Amino acid sequence: MKLTQELDKIYYFMKRDIISFSTYKTNILLSVVSALFGALSYAFWGANASMPSVANLGMPVVTYLLIGLAFNTYLSQSLTLVQRTINPWSLEEVLVSPTGLVTFIVGSSLWGFIWSTLVIVIYLAVGVFAFGVILSVNIIGTIIVVGLGIGTFIGFSMIGAGVLILTKQGDPVTTIITLATNLFGNVLFPITVMPLPLQVISFLVPQYYFFTCIRPMLTGQTIGTILPDLAILGLMCAIILPVGYLAYAWCLKTARKNGTLSWF
Amino acid sequence: MQNEYAIQTVNLTKTYKSKTPNSGIFNRKTISVNAIDNLNLAIKKGELFGLLGPNGAGKTTLVKILCTLLPPDQGSALVNGFDVAKQQMKVKQSIGTLFSVGERGFFWRLSGYRNLEFFAAINNVPRSNRHQRIMEVLELVGLNDKADLFFQKYSGGMKRKLALARALLADPPILLLDEPTTGLDVTSSRSIRDFIKNDLSKKHGKTVLYTTHYIEEVSQMCDRVAIMNKGKIVALDTPDALKGMAKKGEVADIVVKNMSEAQVNTLRGLEGVTGLAAEVQDSVLGQRRLRVRLENVNSLPMVLDFFFREKIKLVNFRQEEPTLEDAFIELTGAGEGK
Repeated sequence: MKLTQELDKIYYFMKRDIISFSTYKTNILLSVVSALFGALSYAFWGANASMPSVANLGMPVVTYLLIGLAFNTYLSQSLTLVQRTINPWSLEEVLVSPTGLVTFIVGSSLWGFIWSTLVIVIYLAVGVFAFGVILSVNIIGTIIVVGLGIGTFIGFSMIGAGVLILTKQGDPVTTIITLATNLFGNVLFPITVMPLPLQVISFLVPQYYFFTCIRPMLTGQTIGTILPDLAILGLMCAIILPVGYLAYAWCLKTARKNGTLSWF
Repeated sequence: MQNEYAIQTVNLTKTYKSKTPNSGIFNRKTISVNAIDNLNLAIKKGELFGLLGPNGAGKTTLVKILCTLLPPDQGSALVNGFDVAKQQMKVKQSIGTLFSVGERGFFWRLSGYRNLEFFAAINNVPRSNRHQRIMEVLELVGLNDKADLFFQKYSGGMKRKLALARALLADPPILLLDEPTTGLDVTSSRSIRDFIKNDLSKKHGKTVLYTTHYIEEVSQMCDRVAIMNKGKIVALDTPDALKGMAKKGEVADIVVKNMSEAQVNTLRGLEGVTGLAAEVQDSVLGQRRLRVRLENVNSLPMVLDFFFREKIKLVNFRQEEPTLEDAFIELTGAGEGK
């Protein structure tokens, strides 16, 4: 397997997705409008919030909310990326070609990430230009945190996609992770507002560490300030990503063995 | 020694397990179906080989095993000398595959050209001659002037031709074509069959495994034909030799008027009638076409006597040479033969 050949394949996966995506013009427009409206709604609320419980956020509420909202969208996209590549018919066509599983997953997911990044830019641009949010990005720190977050969520996504390949309908993994993110993930409110038993659960979910790490990296702090949380996020990623890959490969193998790959 | 076979299977077996439906949540039982049952098959290099069988015979399962999509449960299969279970990448580089619903594997919002560009990339067609190769295969299947049309605008025949073009992209020595003409009109079917026989097989020397349940297709175009039923090969020979297998007896092609279903069943039960296929030829005129297989020529008066006795009007009567269809019916028990 030559690296250049695999990179070439990844490029053509992305090219396929961009061309296909660009033909859905109404969808593109609606996605942009949704992102703008979502950002504006939370920004207006955040800019006028004066709750004592959010006084210790370490940053203005609007900044806290917009970063949470923007990156939650990013993680949500990551969570369903692999599932969205499972078109049973084209899956068979790809699997009979000399293309490896990693190339297939990376290639099929890349455009989704790029588009999600553009949506994040919209969220943050609304904050910066309309609500005076001040961002001071630690580029290396941000790349590390985002990389670990994406890695973790791709792991979850592969587990979900594997389950979907076997069950055909209904993927409990994605549902559970989405619910856990919203409640325990430190996305739109700090976990300290919850009762203690629920706070304990937050420490078990990677989303909490992701959002705890990403906000300081966008507001001028150093990696040193987030090191313990970053280490836990890294550990979780190191476990969940390979487990996800193995689960996906196993489910795919099982579906092939049972002859149910295209039974959707 | 160079292997003379492009495809070879030895005791190949594939069993599907599934739950029985509609028997309650707690009463569902696991049933096993032998889709491929100890199958032994050897297809020579450059051969145009037909695999004929009714729906559910195991043809698609065999194709999916040969293209590495399904792992076999037992036995082995070699494609271009490579084991489908152990040398998957080598097998994939040796084959071009067209599935019976091949057009569903395309991307409908991309043009024909862009679709082929994508599949060329993932099938390792070198970037330097990718464009040239795409144009070559488009020209081969006669779609070069439709290259920039969105795939969703293609007709059924064009979609199938593009699926053929995709199978040819990497110029593989072996083509696995699973029911390539299913659902196509007569003209498109003929055009695809001619292309496979004259261009792919004769001109380019490709090995072609062609599965179908259309008897006339394999009868006209294939070097050898295997008849498959319930996961087994029940006969394998040239089309002419297979027709010869059905020569034990006589065949009468009869068109009758006003014959009821009950009378068809009575005829089927007559002594000396070894098989019967009946179809409504003209519902307005009340005509049926019967293809009656007889034990020997002595059974014919008995059949004619039945028509006179039952006051069934004979519109047409012809004694015929047995066809591949007769061999197929006899060997698979398909149609309405007894």
